[in-house]
Amino acid sequence: MLRFEKRDKTPVRLRVLVPICSVLLGLFVGSVVMLFARVNPLRVYGAVVKGAFGSAYTFSETLVIAVPLILISAGLCLVYRMKFFNIGAKGQYIMGAICGSYLALFGPATMPRPLLLTLMMVLGTIGGALWAIIPALLKAYWNVNEVIATLLLNYIASYILWYLMYGTWRDQRSHGFPLSKSFALNAQLPRILPAPSRLHIGLFFGLVAAGIVWIIIRKTRFGYEGRVLGENERAARYAGINVFKTIIIAAAISGGLAGLAGIAHTSAVLRILQLEINSDYGYTAIIAAWLAGLDPLVAVGVSVLLAALEAGGYQIQIVMRVPFGIVGVIESAILFCLLAGEIVTHYRVSLTRRLTA
Amino acid sequence: MEGQEQLMLVMNNITKRFPGIMANNHVNFALRKGEIHALLGENGAGKSTLMNVLDGIYYPDEGEIVIEGDRVDLRSPLDSMKHGIGMIHQHFMLVDSLSVIENVILGLESQGFYINKKSVAGRIKAIATKYNFRVDPYAKIWQLSVGEQQRVEIIKTLFKGARILILDEPTSVLTPQESEELFGILREMKSEGKSIIFISHKLGEVMSVSDRITVLRKGRLMGTVDTASITERELAKMMIGRDVLFRLERGDIEQGREVLRVEDAQAYNDRGIMALDKLSIAVHGGEIVGVAGVAGNGQVELAECITGLRHLVGGHITVEGIDVTNASPCTLVSAGVNYIPADRLGVGLVPNLSTVENAMLRKYKQKSMRRGTFIDYGAACAYADGLIEKFDIAVPLKNAPVKVLSGGNMQKLLLAREIDENPRLLIAEHPTRGLDVGATEFVRKTLLEQRDHGVAVLLISEDLDEILMVADRIAVMYEGRIVGIVDAHHADIAQIGLMMAGAVGAKT
Repeated sequence: MLRFEKRDKTPVRLRVLVPICSVLLGLFVGSVVMLFARVNPLRVYGAVVKGAFGSAYTFSETLVIAVPLILISAGLCLVYRMKFFNIGAKGQYIMGAICGSYLALFGPATMPRPLLLTLMMVLGTIGGALWAIIPALLKAYWNVNEVIATLLLNYIASYILWYLMYGTWRDQRSHGFPLSKSFALNAQLPRILPAPSRLHIGLFFGLVAAGIVWIIIRKTRFGYEGRVLGENERAARYAGINVFKTIIIAAAISGGLAGLAGIAHTSAVLRILQLEINSDYGYTAIIAAWLAGLDPLVAVGVSVLLAALEAGGYQIQIVMRVPFGIVGVIESAILFCLLAGEIVTHYRVSLTRRLTA
Repeated sequence: MEGQEQLMLVMNNITKRFPGIMANNHVNFALRKGEIHALLGENGAGKSTLMNVLDGIYYPDEGEIVIEGDRVDLRSPLDSMKHGIGMIHQHFMLVDSLSVIENVILGLESQGFYINKKSVAGRIKAIATKYNFRVDPYAKIWQLSVGEQQRVEIIKTLFKGARILILDEPTSVLTPQESEELFGILREMKSEGKSIIFISHKLGEVMSVSDRITVLRKGRLMGTVDTASITERELAKMMIGRDVLFRLERGDIEQGREVLRVEDAQAYNDRGIMALDKLSIAVHGGEIVGVAGVAGNGQVELAECITGLRHLVGGHITVEGIDVTNASPCTLVSAGVNYIPADRLGVGLVPNLSTVENAMLRKYKQKSMRRGTFIDYGAACAYADGLIEKFDIAVPLKNAPVKVLSGGNMQKLLLAREIDENPRLLIAEHPTRGLDVGATEFVRKTLLEQRDHGVAVLLISEDLDEILMVADRIAVMYEGRIVGIVDAHHADIAQIGLMMAGAVGAKT
């Protein structure tokens, strides 16, 4: 029989060791599954590492995936600290992509590139922010649970994208495929490395955003109010903190960053609006934010690791003909072990014998 | 010498360590059959830890437990229940939305798939009749008064066949009359041969109800004595380790002008039930008005209304002549209303933020602590240092979460922060609950000091002794109204008790 006793405080040693052991254990669990699938785990892990970090190109592709994760998770670190559980980054990402793409597709073609791109990014950010403000308002005025509201708004955003792709925004020459016309060069966010790398200046957006969010949380009045609010809403109200305003602003920042991620990825990497715009990054980023302990700077590192797993996953699929599902198994095994590890860091676990009497 | 055969329970050399503290340090405890045994000690003396060991919640690091001659191994409350131990916690373990029956059979293994409510109801009634009280088995818990809920807890343990009952500070939520009734029930149980452990830090009730008393101090056993052979003063010395002041020095009142006026206030509680029923009260500068009453009669809501945390649906509140009805907490703070909430970590402090970040909560918007949108953490730190020094707060690490501080130091910090605002009106809600004697004295002295400076103090407390000691006037609250206001110098405890129970109306 296991006994759990809450720890008063967690030793630093455990804070470092437990996550490392958890990841190793997760990899081990993943290996067992792979053995059942008759694949050599070592070769798979080797391929993942090679696929993610093997060359300058593969690493840059890893970063391509990491960029939206960094942007989104930075915002999530902020709202989650205020106990506003926005799981609608996917929808906010899509709305950002749609709003920004509107200018790319229907804006004045002669607009100078820097101006057009700036406007696209701004519009995408606003689109994502509005999509996050809706549930924040619902929560503020009618106490609607934000988890459900943001989740459902994901579906609405997805279907708006579908509607546009099968409807008015579909390119006449796409032979019926749900694709927009390709973005003109003016509307493409610049890439920063020579082809074939698709890494783009969104990387800097992400790093700057993570830094700014960190400063907001640690150094500003707004961040302090948010932390008080997240830890203890009653104390916050008594201290005269405007709870609604704080949550709405935080939600807008988080949604805005997700929207920015959406339009940046669409404009720089895809260069076209389509049904599949990798909006599931909105979910992966939730994991990144939590694993990072809601610290946006740590979230940068975690985002890169999760991106590596994803990029490496594509690789093993291609090179080793292993189903991509294996990557999902590894990813979930690691996550489960990390979550289980949390218990060890917060509780003292001991084994006891069941009494016989 | 007592023979082994009449001992119900023996705890030998119980030691329980928590990080940084010996909660129980080789404690011995013996319980006879058919006795009421009081476990006395200050907060933090290790009473609850020892009883949690007996209830299987904690497992001791050392020591053994013997029940009726057999050594037992108690790993969970279920194990303890099987050995006939039942604990009634200070915070009741009842499900509000379920009926008495459903609560009683909750967690009972012997119940089959189908629940025969009728037979359970019959057995509940039989237990109640045996001990001369009544309870409706079909009532939902939330409909019952606190005293009735406590009886449900007692029935629950008896229903499960408990022969050893542990009651953790059972009178803290009762009126003096209700406490007497409880003592009657306990004496009845004793005559049935049941053994009762009664945890308390109130000397008076321990003297009146127990047969023997075991005193703990700082995790150590101070001794076990026969109640008949000891005086209250000796007991207090055993418990605290020095002579205690039973009276606080206080000067005569110089009542100033009216600071707080509440007129016909009406407000709902969290359940949507009217908690304040046209309540009126006034507090003047330089006086302490104590609000006495059994928990749950609207005291919390009153404090919340005055501090802007709860919405008034009727009536008016004015502070120094200015209407502040339903003003925001922020406005009220600038009007000079400060608050020491009952729930220190729930309302007053933010547990996971540091001492500095908690200290600056009332000051961070001021110019001295901000640079644009940024907070000047250097200034905040210096400010916190000032408070820590002035109020002698023991803070091991300024940047560690405030929740690691002891209860007394948390309360000091809270008090320091609020008093530093130079309040006109101070609302103190159970300000000494859970504090040790030293901190309690400090808090009470600080309140009196504030009074002497002309601050109007509204003291809400369940501890009648505290109110008698500190307050100038006593307002008794019952079902959302002030049913009477008496001068503390001519207070009659029996009279106040009856008012608390709603038996006597206003006699002002």
